[in-house]
Amino acid sequence: MMKNKLNVVWWVIGLVFLAFFPKLFGIYYTNVVVTMAIFAVYSLSVNMLLGYTGLLSFGQAMFFGFGGYGTALALTHIPGIGVLPAIGLGVLAAVALALILSPLVVRVSGTAFAMLHLAFGQLMYVLALKLYNITGGEDGIANFPVPGLFTESLKSSPEHFYYLAMVILGISTWLMWYMTKTPFGQIQVGIRDNAKRIDYLGYRVPQSKAVIYVLSALFAGVAGSVYGLFHNLVSADGSLGIGMSFTPIISVMIGGVGSFFGPILGVAIFQLVDELILRYTESTELVMGVILIVVVMFMPTGFMGLFRTLRQKISTRRTPEAKKEKA
Amino acid sequence: MNILETKDLKHSFGPLAVLFGVDLQIEEGERHAVIGPNGAGKTTLFNTITGTYHPTSGRVFFKGKDITGYKPYKLARIGIGRSFQITSTFTNLTAFQNIRLAILSKDGVRFNLLRPVEKMKKITEETDEMLKRINLYDDRNTPAASLSYGKSRALEISMALATNPELVLLDEFAAGMSKEETADAVALIRKLTEGKTVVIIEHDMDVVFSLADRITVLHYGKILATGKPEEIRNNQAVKDAYLGDLEV
Amino acid sequence: MDPMVSMYISQGIHGIAYGMILFLIASGLNIIFGMMGILNMAHTAFFMLAAYFCYVVVGITGNFWLGLLFAPLFTAVLGVVMERVFLRKAVGHMGELILTMGISFVIVAAIKKIWGTESLPLQMPEVLSGMVNIVGVTYPVYRLFVIGLALVILVFMLLLLYRTRLGKIVRAAVSDRDMVNALGININLVFMFVFGVGTWMAGLAGVAIAPILTVFPGLADQVGMDAFIVVVTGGFGSLLGAFIVSIIFGLLSSYGVQFVSQFAPVLMVVFMAIVLAFRPNGLFGVKE
Repeated sequence: MMKNKLNVVWWVIGLVFLAFFPKLFGIYYTNVVVTMAIFAVYSLSVNMLLGYTGLLSFGQAMFFGFGGYGTALALTHIPGIGVLPAIGLGVLAAVALALILSPLVVRVSGTAFAMLHLAFGQLMYVLALKLYNITGGEDGIANFPVPGLFTESLKSSPEHFYYLAMVILGISTWLMWYMTKTPFGQIQVGIRDNAKRIDYLGYRVPQSKAVIYVLSALFAGVAGSVYGLFHNLVSADGSLGIGMSFTPIISVMIGGVGSFFGPILGVAIFQLVDELILRYTESTELVMGVILIVVVMFMPTGFMGLFRTLRQKISTRRTPEAKKEKA
Repeated sequence: MNILETKDLKHSFGPLAVLFGVDLQIEEGERHAVIGPNGAGKTTLFNTITGTYHPTSGRVFFKGKDITGYKPYKLARIGIGRSFQITSTFTNLTAFQNIRLAILSKDGVRFNLLRPVEKMKKITEETDEMLKRINLYDDRNTPAASLSYGKSRALEISMALATNPELVLLDEFAAGMSKEETADAVALIRKLTEGKTVVIIEHDMDVVFSLADRITVLHYGKILATGKPEEIRNNQAVKDAYLGDLEV
Repeated sequence: MDPMVSMYISQGIHGIAYGMILFLIASGLNIIFGMMGILNMAHTAFFMLAAYFCYVVVGITGNFWLGLLFAPLFTAVLGVVMERVFLRKAVGHMGELILTMGISFVIVAAIKKIWGTESLPLQMPEVLSGMVNIVGVTYPVYRLFVIGLALVILVFMLLLLYRTRLGKIVRAAVSDRDMVNALGININLVFMFVFGVGTWMAGLAGVAIAPILTVFPGLADQVGMDAFIVVVTGGFGSLLGAFIVSIIFGLLSSYGVQFVSQFAPVLMVVFMAIVLAFRPNGLFGVKE
């Protein structure tokens, strides 16, 4: 009970902090927080597949990009459309794509799943470049209107955009967290651990995978849509490129695969490292590559795994007697 | 009435035939053991019945209904469970979470995305009750990977039974167990399978003769004999083929 | 001969030449995957690296043949180093995929740093630079040379796999790694060798394609992606699958460019999707 109350206090402090953040830290850091929140939701969507079902996708940017393009197209071509319906249409586009692909992709796993998505991701990238009339080719779609909920436009008021983005992304994060607590979330963990046994217990594995796949696409779509609004630009390289598929994988790996909050920590660390290193080198590729190598070789369970090991060590040191009795 | 029946069940892996037409008959409510030397096709028989493989030919009937080629999840839903010779639990999940997955399936809670599973009182109670029955309540929060061998085997068997199947197939549940562990496991199975039909594959003849109501002897992919334990014990063909070597 | 027909034929040979290059890359990927269960995401980066090595060797010596000889060897050595130093530390398939992807990023970054992002021209040797007239169709000699080279490598590979003791060990290790280990054969050494040969083949393909497409940092993405699609469509680990699909893709891409130029790259992915819809593990793939 005490613990619960303490948790509530922490949550309230956190929310108040975020609410006053723009006032306290100014516009630059406010935008940093928005970027982090977008990539946090995006990385969580990847972790839904990778951490909770064991599916590694090299093409998650498809859904991120579809979210962005959907929203941008809606705002460009539908006069007077509100910002929420526009986001909704972007997310719908991502979900529709996932629904089309799901019958095919849930039948494979492991390496084939990863490669299949690499190929489909590349296809979408090429299509975005070639279908100039719809996507604007290499230039992408830019300068579309960004209406606010209560104001004409959010373009010149990043503070308002911050609140809109944070509420949408916050709700998304909460929904994903909630899902892991439901029976369905438990089944996903079971599939990651031992898909055969899940089958013998009476669950339909491909269907479960399909559901998680579509949900993952949904949240990637949300992230992509907000990202497009944030930059007021959706382009093939910015939203659909192969780098965009790997950024969230890196964050998930840094934070720790499979733990729910790991990816959020990973995003923060990755953004920080990226920011620091990019002062010395222009090459994001180099940064991403080195981080991937280091994480896989030296800390395969990420920072969350590191913390867990440390905590275990401390707690065993503290209560050696109790442990002995149990054993 | 026979709860499970196979008719002329055949299976081969490529050119290698393993089952040559098996007519297995399991009566409702009995405990039936399938024995036979290594390579006789016992596990393959289980696998063709429970949907791991589609049999090359022949049919499988459950309560008179043709279930040939049913996928495992479908068999689980109509009331057939199985355990595995090689422990196949969810190693990263706790004993509680392992059993809970079985209980959730039993209660038909599958695609529920709306309520936290912790808040489902009935599920938690049933799971804890099961853990108490199988003497794993003290290890409730231990990951399956950290359980002792005997306990992880108990968990393995209990997961097959926790979905509350009418018919359960246990593949060498006592494999690798010590004498005491085996005795515990036998007692556990007696307790948990009351009123259910059980088919076991087993090498340990003490277990077979103490647990089984009837025995089927499989030999090179064919049924050599079926009958009550004493009939099997006195069957000359069985003695020649199998028991003779073992009981010396 | 009718100029239309002659054009179709010459496009066909173009396609086969490209298909052969794809096959060289894909079969290298495939023998590594078949043997070690590792899909080397850095494979195409090595392929591109070889093209740059060749550019350097030709720049120093002025001799393309030396480039063809040495560039793939350098690449193979780097591949072996990667396998020994990095890959053995990776845990599980996911670790391997992500690690090799990281290495590929680093190689691409290094290439951009060292050689810049422009296209570097690579002169083909005099002998191969002309045109040849075959039954009324004029055709560049170099592409025929590429086809010939790939066929020689194919025959060499088959001989190695099916006629030597080493090939026997490799094939045995593909089906049962532990057994081979139990026989007292140093499996790590065999792995190293296989990894070297696979990377060497990628290097050969890189050198072969350099005079046609020039040398630039997008090479790995442009050709490499096609090679990965070949492997997925043909089936992981299947040399026959890689061969058939490479040829089909080569033809698809050359005729595709002619008829639906914009969407030629799309054709391959569509073909892949159709194949996988019916055979999730590829044309000749076995289950993982």
